[in-house]
Amino acid sequence: MTVTEQPAAFRNEPILELRRAPARESLLQALRALDTRLPLAVPVLIGGDRGATEGIDSTDPGAPERLIARAGRAGADDAAAAVEAAVRGAREWASRPAAERAQILRAAADRLRERRLELAALQVRECAKPWGEADGDVCEAVDFLEYYALQAIALERGPELLQAPGERNTMRYVPRGVAAVIAPWNFPLAIPCGMTAAALAAGNAVVLKPAEQSPGSAGALVEALHAAGVPGDALSLVPGYGEAGAALVRDPRVHVIAFTGSAAVGLEIVRAAGETPDGQHHVKRVVAEMGGKNCVIVDSDADLDDAVPEIVRSAFNYAGQKCSAAARVLVHEAAADDLLERLSGAVDVLKVGQAESFATEVPPVIEREAQDRVRRYAEIAERDGTIVGRAEGGPGEGWFCAPTVAADLSPDSAVLWEEVFGPLLAVTRVRDTDEACDIVDSLPFALTGGLFSRSPATVERVAARTPVGNLYVNRGITGAMVARQPFGGNRRSGSGSKAGGPDYLLQFVEPRVVTENTMRQGIPVE
Amino acid sequence: MEVELQRVGRSIHAAFPGRSRHPLRALDEKAMEMAAQDAELRAALFRFVDVTPACRSLDDLARHLTGYLDEVGDRPPPIEAALKMSGTKAGRTALGAASAAGVRHMAHRFIVGESPRDALRPIRHLWVNGAAVSLDLLGETTVTQAEADRYAERCHDALETLAGAAVDWPERPVLEADSQGPLPRVNLSVKVSALTPLLRPEAPTVGRDDAARRMRPLLRRAKELGAHLHIDMESVDTLEATTELVFDLLDEPKLRDGPSAGIVMQAYLRDSPEQLARALDWARSTRRKPPLVVRLVKGAYWDQEVVEARQHGWTPPVFEEKRDSDRNFEALTRTLLEGWPYVRPAIASHNLRSVAHAVACNRELGREDRDIELQVLRGLGDDLAAALCEHQLRVRIYCPIGDLVAGMAYLVRRLLENTANESFLGDRQRGVPVEELLAAP
Repeated sequence: MTVTEQPAAFRNEPILELRRAPARESLLQALRALDTRLPLAVPVLIGGDRGATEGIDSTDPGAPERLIARAGRAGADDAAAAVEAAVRGAREWASRPAAERAQILRAAADRLRERRLELAALQVRECAKPWGEADGDVCEAVDFLEYYALQAIALERGPELLQAPGERNTMRYVPRGVAAVIAPWNFPLAIPCGMTAAALAAGNAVVLKPAEQSPGSAGALVEALHAAGVPGDALSLVPGYGEAGAALVRDPRVHVIAFTGSAAVGLEIVRAAGETPDGQHHVKRVVAEMGGKNCVIVDSDADLDDAVPEIVRSAFNYAGQKCSAAARVLVHEAAADDLLERLSGAVDVLKVGQAESFATEVPPVIEREAQDRVRRYAEIAERDGTIVGRAEGGPGEGWFCAPTVAADLSPDSAVLWEEVFGPLLAVTRVRDTDEACDIVDSLPFALTGGLFSRSPATVERVAARTPVGNLYVNRGITGAMVARQPFGGNRRSGSGSKAGGPDYLLQFVEPRVVTENTMRQGIPVE
Repeated sequence: MEVELQRVGRSIHAAFPGRSRHPLRALDEKAMEMAAQDAELRAALFRFVDVTPACRSLDDLARHLTGYLDEVGDRPPPIEAALKMSGTKAGRTALGAASAAGVRHMAHRFIVGESPRDALRPIRHLWVNGAAVSLDLLGETTVTQAEADRYAERCHDALETLAGAAVDWPERPVLEADSQGPLPRVNLSVKVSALTPLLRPEAPTVGRDDAARRMRPLLRRAKELGAHLHIDMESVDTLEATTELVFDLLDEPKLRDGPSAGIVMQAYLRDSPEQLARALDWARSTRRKPPLVVRLVKGAYWDQEVVEARQHGWTPPVFEEKRDSDRNFEALTRTLLEGWPYVRPAIASHNLRSVAHAVACNRELGREDRDIELQVLRGLGDDLAAALCEHQLRVRIYCPIGDLVAGMAYLVRRLLENTANESFLGDRQRGVPVEELLAAP
């Protein structure tokens, strides 16, 4: 392999054109083929060796009897063994030039591209992710690999420093060492891929603990990376529950923890990672992406023809199970009646159904606990306010929740302040955009936000005032694209890093500066 | 053929009415000329026109206007004057009133009235002067079932209103029959996207079936009233649903022998030759009477198609070079004319060359002039329509109806078309010589 070859400039992997019948048929065919191979086997993989093959079963949220993947269950001792392998793996992997690592990541991207239909089908089954979203997730995973590969090469060059006569100053970024990646199920390929690819691109070894709900997708990711040339020691897979994750977080040999998931777990990780037991010669870096309570502000001059469909998509696609999803609408009182009438009508006609149907807009939620939680909040909404729109709840089996819009909730209702992570949207009337900004400001989260306004002055004022990591103006608030919308939240929504952005890899390296005196016998020798 | 084309084209060109018959129209054209020359100013104008119906007061309107004009770097004196006015409340009120009047006037150029009843007088006037119309009901985006029901009701109302009035119109033989028989006086264009909130590009059958529930009674009523119903084509996202809806419904036993109905082919689509071939196959195999009308257009969603494709990394479904579209238009014209008598061809273009080509091609195929219909848009193709009427050609003017809120999306698209650098209208306004207007693409 040539290591001097520069990858071509980045462009996003095109999603499938699902408005064309042949594209849809190709996916259905891939699903039929996948169904004959279920359940998939996903063993624990430590330093290239297969471990346990049982202990975790992932099932279809739309048909809970259907087994999708049977994964090994890693415990604390597996986590420790994986970290040990990673310590070995990190030395060798870090010694390779960035261009060589980049080449391997790009080969993994090719592998995912080849399998893209099958991988989308797997998400349809394992996570009840509708086709468009599943295909988008695979493309995003490809994007992360390509983008971080490019970034790693740029990063290796290091920044320019000011030079004075008689000295040479250089700065370089070196890998931190061992990265523990703890990933969620809602973007079952893209998010684990993004965190893993970033850590690997920067020269770290990775122990990946995927969510117990989606080991199948994680297994495919690890397979692609290994097949592309990532050594077994540099990448281990430890499917498991909380104990594996907790062991990784506490392990003193781990340098970076990259986490995406709930705020409760994220804050616990931040606390645990802050410990510096004797013998641990470093401070752990935590990269955390956590929850949100994302608000869309609708001003009186908004174009409701745009706002209504975009709000509906932002709140209800994938049953609201995205950290970026819209949870609240803050609408100017002059536009509120119109918006509520149209929004509730638009929610009434949402198609709730199985993810495998192209007509489905709202699939089942991931598991029974999620269904219980969403239903609990929907009951609170009914008690604390008015239900103004609700679609039919979907077929009998599966973890379906009826998409719901609530309005006029009492100001202290839990529905307005807690993350529901499901298809429930709350609408609040406000006097003006300033009051809307006050509400946004009073929330502990700051992930995404939306604004519908056609006034340049209002756009500028809200953009300046809102603490969210990603503000979307006159469009939906989900679907961040790598390199176009670097993604990540502030406040309790995250540690401020931006996945798919130009500075993300800096989380996985440490900077070193060398200053050399170039004077010899009073003469600068350069 | 080319000789005949040039002859026809020059003859139509010579019949164009003199420019700026109307003082207010001259003002409009001045504003659009300014916008055509300056991209920033054009953006400001579009954004302002677009927000007008959502503004709550003249003050609010003026604030929006100045917000947009502020972003224009190089401001002509009238714009500087407008910005100065906005410093005081009284100034803003005056500015708001003046600009609201401006937008209303622009809208009236393109939109024939607020309701079918309002439109009866201007429509009759057009008919008397030799041009038929197709009415198009503008509306907000349909996102709920109630909105789809309301649009369907408006369509029914338009059919009834027009049918009631049309019986009193004077006879106009050119407009009322071709060599295959009579042509309906009443002609309504409908949009599938307005008839259902369920159009989803990745699930065309859902929207198709929901729209069919409302389209079927409309077709039946049109049949009873002897009216023509034309199903418009929109963006590629809705193409499959629209095409299947039309072919399915027109094949139903009760609709096989009427009403007169039509579909649209968009020449800017790369796969339009296949689309047209499919429509002609359908027409030949069903031998529907009255024959399906096929309206050939360039296509009105070019920017949307290109932007959407670019954002997703797709090859745009449309030709990106205007001349490729123009060439394809001529090729499709010929194919469509060859489909006669199984289809009735309608050529909708403001491009003098395309129109002359269609007329010449039709003659070359040995057909009568009355077996081709030429269509234009109100507000854009008025001069061309007048010239065509003078040549005793059959002209239909596409007339949108609706209030300012409903009409805004349409209005902005028309303004865009009118200020585009490559448009035929722009060329004509700039006084481009007839040789160039008629040059082969």
